[in-house]
Amino acid sequence: MLDVAGVSLTVDGAEHFDHRFAAGEITVVLGANHAGKTDLCRLIAGLHTCARGEIRLDDSDLDGLKPQQRSVSLVYQAFVNYPNLTVAENIASPLRARRMTAAARRNRVNQLATMLQIADLLERYPHELSGGQQQRLAIARALAKDARALLLDEPLVNLDFKLREALEYELRDLLRSTDTVVIYTSSDPRDAFALGDQVLLLEGGRKVQAGTPIEVYRRPINFVAMELLAEPCINRFTRAGKTCALRPEHVTVGGDVDAANMIRFDMSVTACETNGDDSFIHGRVDECDWVVRSYGMQEVRAGSLLSLYARTADVVSF
Amino acid sequence: MARITLENIGFHYPGAVQDTLSGLNLEIANGEAHALLGASGAGKTTLLNLLSGLLSPTAGKLLFDGQDVSQLAGHARNVAQVFQFPVLYESLSVAENLAFPLKSRGVAASQIAERVDYICDELAISPLREHKPGALSLFEKQLVAVGKALVRADLSLVLLDEPLTAVEPRIKWRLRQTLRKVQEDLGVTMIYVTHDQTEALTFADRVSVLTAGGILQTGTPAEIYETPGHEFVGHFVGSPGMNFVPNSALNVSMGERLGFRPEWAVIDESGPVQGVVTRTRVQRTHDSIPYGLVTLATLHGELSVRGATDIEVGTNTALRVHRYVAFADQQKVGEGELV
Amino acid sequence: MSSFKPHNNRAWLGVLPVVLIVAFSAVIPLMTVVNYSVQDILDLNTRFFVGFEWYRETLNDPRFLAAFLRQVVFSLTVLMIEIPLGIAVAKSIPKTGRLTPFILILLALPLLIPWNVVATIWQIFARPDIGLLGVGVNALGISYNYTAEPLHAWLTLVAMDVWHWTSLVVLLTFAGLTSIPLPFYQAAELDGANRWQLFTLVELPRLRGVLIIAVLLRLMDSFMIYTEPFVLTGGGPGNATTFLSQHLATMAVGQFDLGPAAAFSVIYFLFILLFCWLFYTTVVKRDES
Repeated sequence: MLDVAGVSLTVDGAEHFDHRFAAGEITVVLGANHAGKTDLCRLIAGLHTCARGEIRLDDSDLDGLKPQQRSVSLVYQAFVNYPNLTVAENIASPLRARRMTAAARRNRVNQLATMLQIADLLERYPHELSGGQQQRLAIARALAKDARALLLDEPLVNLDFKLREALEYELRDLLRSTDTVVIYTSSDPRDAFALGDQVLLLEGGRKVQAGTPIEVYRRPINFVAMELLAEPCINRFTRAGKTCALRPEHVTVGGDVDAANMIRFDMSVTACETNGDDSFIHGRVDECDWVVRSYGMQEVRAGSLLSLYARTADVVSF
Repeated sequence: MARITLENIGFHYPGAVQDTLSGLNLEIANGEAHALLGASGAGKTTLLNLLSGLLSPTAGKLLFDGQDVSQLAGHARNVAQVFQFPVLYESLSVAENLAFPLKSRGVAASQIAERVDYICDELAISPLREHKPGALSLFEKQLVAVGKALVRADLSLVLLDEPLTAVEPRIKWRLRQTLRKVQEDLGVTMIYVTHDQTEALTFADRVSVLTAGGILQTGTPAEIYETPGHEFVGHFVGSPGMNFVPNSALNVSMGERLGFRPEWAVIDESGPVQGVVTRTRVQRTHDSIPYGLVTLATLHGELSVRGATDIEVGTNTALRVHRYVAFADQQKVGEGELV
Repeated sequence: MSSFKPHNNRAWLGVLPVVLIVAFSAVIPLMTVVNYSVQDILDLNTRFFVGFEWYRETLNDPRFLAAFLRQVVFSLTVLMIEIPLGIAVAKSIPKTGRLTPFILILLALPLLIPWNVVATIWQIFARPDIGLLGVGVNALGISYNYTAEPLHAWLTLVAMDVWHWTSLVVLLTFAGLTSIPLPFYQAAELDGANRWQLFTLVELPRLRGVLIIAVLLRLMDSFMIYTEPFVLTGGGPGNATTFLSQHLATMAVGQFDLGPAAAFSVIYFLFILLFCWLFYTTVVKRDES
């Protein structure tokens, strides 16, 4: 368990941040750039110091401990490995500091390399690896430390789309099987669902909301929380003098018009995008920019008028 | 603007054993938005450099409106490019940056002013005109870089090299929308290079899927997604990609393997493919029920289906496929539906 | 990046060793010099406080003013040659290729030679009776004798300094050039930029950092030049190549005029400081705006 209490993630130190991260769970920290994700990681790893607040890992205070003395590993966005060491030596590097027989060390290296599917590359140097392999190596090195907290700061952001997809699945299975505190930062709401047991929403150094992804998705505490878990954004409208919002996937084109639990909107379409799996219809509803996310490939012409329907149960207001 | 033709284009780096690209044929219509989609190492960058004139093909011809430009240098080709990160002249203001490609070609001052105004309006960056790039956000900088690429009226081709890389994921779609809009308004021929299927499919009129130096399929986004011409295209496009099973698994005689998208199948206990649920991934709610991907471990490997995720991991169940594409020797041989 | 400002007073303890070292190596000697500069020292035990007398005298001393003027002209001359020449040479080195490492090593050679050796090499090289340069120039029908002609002495000194130090500018600039990402060149090419525009709009803005360092290093170094003219010309003919440090050495060591020499040192020190500060702030201010 990792307990962060009373620290500040903003430059002016105005905001307080508290959160308890549970062991054996992956917490996805979701926020825009400069929301404080990287600062949180650096603070826990000991690369930053903070004037106030405390960070406790399994009931031991981390204050005053150097990064090397903390049982914390950090994987960066950039692929950071020792360029002059082979893959095997890179993985073994955190083990060197510990008293360990050569055989035990070799065992551990092989085990980690197998787990991350780089076992046949042990004699190569980092520059001979592809981006995906380099990041696997960085993760293997971080795991080798056997730290009680593992921080992954947008580790897959620089990888190809398909590779990211594959690694996401692997990482989830791999990290779930450990008993460490895992913090995974991202700015993509999809990662929260794909990886997170828990999600923590950050904005401007402030904790907006935390909980299981589906809880936070279903019951956001405000529009900021709703927007942070929306793809690509939320649709706002006014109803009975109140600001309300709908998620793009909760608005459908056509539907049971007469049903009592449905609301109707008229949208003039400005554009339609599709990635095959989903289509995003962009347009305007009562002077607001809206996006409708629907299944499969849709073809809607810009300029056309659509009747949209949403269930009243999906409307969010505060 | 121009029609772009690649005739049997091949390229190998000096001293390299293998061709980086070989036998590439492609025709891109005047005013088309075309995407080149491929993983890293597929030769995307090389192809881009061949189009921009940084490299010359070692085989075949590159034609702009029927004119052979294979051996012309970049500045003689009327090509502009937007790079992965914003490339601007830092000591010049936004307006001066936009004017630069015209000025360096000796366009009259009145025409330059008119064109810069037009581009500023089109991209809604007029308020930034007098700023230096250093004062702008990454998003705004990239917008200006796009403007700089589009400012010339006599362009044959605009190349986009993963232009959204540096932009924050949450606002990528906005820049993509803007790109799409100016592409249509200006009628420019654009080639968009990316590894991201969402970007390729959402941006382009037609998409070419590139792998290990060759084009596997060229088609509209719908064609690419719904009727992939090659197993790799089926796997590469879509998130997750196509599932594949031997044709015997679904009692189909066509082809050797059948590919189906996660949404072309449903969980159905009486379905023909038995399996155990290994993982579920929520993506949204539908009528308040969590909905997303359900993955089953089956005889034919892991298969993913879209549907309600309120099903326990470890449940024994089955899936039923209602639509498929048949492949033989990895090539598409047909498609069909099952009742 | 760092958004945390730790308030930790223990940090001052960490600075203490540096403060002590700087105190012993710089502040105390400097204070000694300041102390000397306000006294008239007849011998080790007889001294009088004279206030700013020595400063007034030094600033009114025509020999000092002449040395100072020569110094400024010399420093500006070598800067105006070395910086553009260094950039030009750096630009002509291929960025990649088998030859590049050899060229860089070759260029670094002059930097490895001690000052007095450089001066000795040039002293022999330029001698009109046996030196390759001296004999060569004379053979062309141009009468050349750097020991007799002030202009020749100057040209020889400038040539020597350029030979010795341009490499430094080249190496710094080359490092700066290789760090410019390729897309900037590609974009300029597609924009139809000519070579001059490529240089002024792409390369120069991105070289600003290294060039500031190069100018500061060369300015401070050339302002303190001592060994080379001392060995090559001995400050002559006449006082034609007597620069500030040599003038100072003559006063302090040769004539044992400790008071005026100290005043001179302080003026010299303040001037270099002022010059560097002015240069740095104007350039950096422009950067920020």
